[in-house]
Amino acid sequence: MKTIKLLVVDDEENIRILFKEELEEEGYQIELASNGLEAIKKIKESNFDLIILDIKMPGMDGIQALNAIKNVNKDQPVILCSAYGEFKQDFSSWVSDGYVVKSADTRELKQTIKNILHIT
Amino acid sequence: MNPVDLLGKIIEISHSNLEIPSRISSILNIIAQEMHFEEVIVYTFDRDKRLTCKFMNQKSVLFLILNQYRCHIGEGIVGSVAQKRVPQFFTIKDIPPRFGCLFYPDLNGVIEKFKTFSFLPLSDDSYLYGVMVVISSSRETIHDSEKVLLSMLSREIGGILRASELIFSSKKRISELATLSELGKTLTSNIEPHELLKNIALIIARALNATFVTIRLEHTFLKLDSQRFTYGVIEPSIENYVKELEKEAVRTKQAISLGELAPAEHKDSFKLSLYASPMLSKNRMLGTITICGTRSQQDLALEENSQYLIHTIANYISSGLENTLLNTKLRDVVKELGDAQKRLIEQEKFRSLGEMTANIAHEIKNPLVIIGGFTKRLAKKIQFEQTENRYIDIILKEVSRLETILNEILDYVKENPILIEPCNINDCMDEILYLFNSDVTWEQVHIVKEYDKALPSIMCDGQQIKQVFINILMNAFEAMHGSGTISIKTEQIKLDNKTFAAVSITDTGGGIDPAIISNIFNPFFTTKERGTGLGLAISNKIVMNHNGHLEIENVVGKGVTFVVYLPFKNSITKEEFL
Ligand SMILES: Nc1ncnc2c1ncn2[C@@H]1O[C@H](COP(=O)(O)OP(=O)(O)OP(=O)(O)O)[C@@H](O)[C@H]1O
Ligand SMILES: [Mg+2]
Repeated sequence: MKTIKLLVVDDEENIRILFKEELEEEGYQIELASNGLEAIKKIKESNFDLIILDIKMPGMDGIQALNAIKNVNKDQPVILCSAYGEFKQDFSSWVSDGYVVKSADTRELKQTIKNILHIT
Repeated sequence: MNPVDLLGKIIEISHSNLEIPSRISSILNIIAQEMHFEEVIVYTFDRDKRLTCKFMNQKSVLFLILNQYRCHIGEGIVGSVAQKRVPQFFTIKDIPPRFGCLFYPDLNGVIEKFKTFSFLPLSDDSYLYGVMVVISSSRETIHDSEKVLLSMLSREIGGILRASELIFSSKKRISELATLSELGKTLTSNIEPHELLKNIALIIARALNATFVTIRLEHTFLKLDSQRFTYGVIEPSIENYVKELEKEAVRTKQAISLGELAPAEHKDSFKLSLYASPMLSKNRMLGTITICGTRSQQDLALEENSQYLIHTIANYISSGLENTLLNTKLRDVVKELGDAQKRLIEQEKFRSLGEMTANIAHEIKNPLVIIGGFTKRLAKKIQFEQTENRYIDIILKEVSRLETILNEILDYVKENPILIEPCNINDCMDEILYLFNSDVTWEQVHIVKEYDKALPSIMCDGQQIKQVFINILMNAFEAMHGSGTISIKTEQIKLDNKTFAAVSITDTGGGIDPAIISNIFNPFFTTKERGTGLGLAISNKIVMNHNGHLEIENVVGKGVTFVVYLPFKNSITKEEFL
């Protein structure tokens, strides 16, 4: 089976590590980026099946990064992941493919990934 | 008394400072006495141009009979003397049978004892003021010298009548001016529109001695409790006439009286005189003034020559009235703006507080996720004894409790709470159009509105729905490169047993290329250099969230119609929006 490549974008190192470890256990190949610009650079270099994007980041914020990513590839699936649900009602977040509230419990994140990639 | 003395005496009286009626009566008495006539009677004109006996010598018998009849110019002997302005002299043998309105056989038993009848016009060089009738029972003929004297006397009486008319018309003029100045004062005073209208009606009613005066406003841009202001009482039986006259005055932009409106055969059956005049300001129809008086009231100034006063008043108050209405409207708008500003400040305060809380919560959330996340990993990796497992459970439970609290806080302070409330779609649209209207770049855009005024309110988030309209209108504007026509229609439409409010926005921007039409709702799809391509994607999402939908009618080469369908019954709740 072809390995599934995910890109986790978050400014907090320990969150990146947590997500990487948790998701690698699920069998995904994980790349990391600590901000939007780095993420854009990475998606220009290689393809990702899915990007998990934190909304509140210094520099380019998540919504801007989302727009930039969709401009590079409008079919690129992106999950927005934020500390809170506030952005769910922001119009511009509606163009993402999924929205997860960040939690110590990673089950929702894992399930959303599966839904978007149609993994059963 | 010789003729010269007589003439001298009469000239003296006519220039005395007695009241005019007494001057005339004294003169008539002297003529009767000194020239030996039994009857000396003067006819003058009523307001409606009919001749009536008004003055007589003291001993006159005929006056009481003749006084009951009035005649038009040209009718009978009195009327014909008035018309031709030459004296006529008759004896009982050759007098024509008609005496003004009255046939002299009706005077049976009275007329036979008289022998001569003289009719003299009372006029100066240009105007006719009445007719004098001089009758004698003793004289078989009237000498030429007497005829000359009578003519001279009648000129003198004509002069008195002329003076009286001048006094009357200047009195009238003064009272009209007083009315206008009173109206002017009222109009410039700073009172509420309904007070103003009531006062105007009152002033006019008093000035014209009217039964009622009613002012109806056509212009509804000001939301007053009532569009009609009446002084006096409109009887139910004539309410319909009033309405019809008002309609006609508005339609023709001309003043109109009931007589003009009614078919000729009914004309005289009206006991009322009703008169409606439009109030126009710069050709804008503000409304009508309608005035009513009873016909028998001869003093009512409604008859012909005074109708112009009402007309003048209508013209006069129009611009003042419009100013007051505009001022009131302006006051409302200013107040609304003030309120909105207060609300904004409140929101701003709340927002910064909310922002701070959100920031703190956010700062706590990340470490918490890390603590909880790694604790879970720890638990997975190592097989602890039972006690340690219990400790881990406690940590995780507390983490989860804190997360829940944080989520609640963050949900609470979120920036734009969604507000589902009843919204009047027409008003929403008007508020947007108002903004666009004041934008110079929209100068060349012609907006045609066709609203269903009875459109019920719908449950929605007004701000979001406005966002949809703005996006569609902006697209229309951009497609037309800033000049063309945008037609906006609101209506109720039934689809599959559900009723929707449908808002159609049609532009003249040439339509959408069929090759790309399937893409326009996709996020980031744009054909514009500076477009983000989110306008329609967001609009579609908002409309879908409201359980509605969007439709496009595309006419290539002409333009596009976007139709927004929004259901009236909406079970959506706040939660479903998220
Ligand atoms: N009324 C219209 N007439 C012609 N083309 C239209 C019309 N409305 C939309 N389009 C086409 O659909 C595209 C998408 O519209 P949309 O509103 O989603 O984005 P945009 O107007 O390009 O950018 P944005 O609204 O984000 O500034 C437009 O670029 C335009 O090509
Ligand atoms: Mg647009």
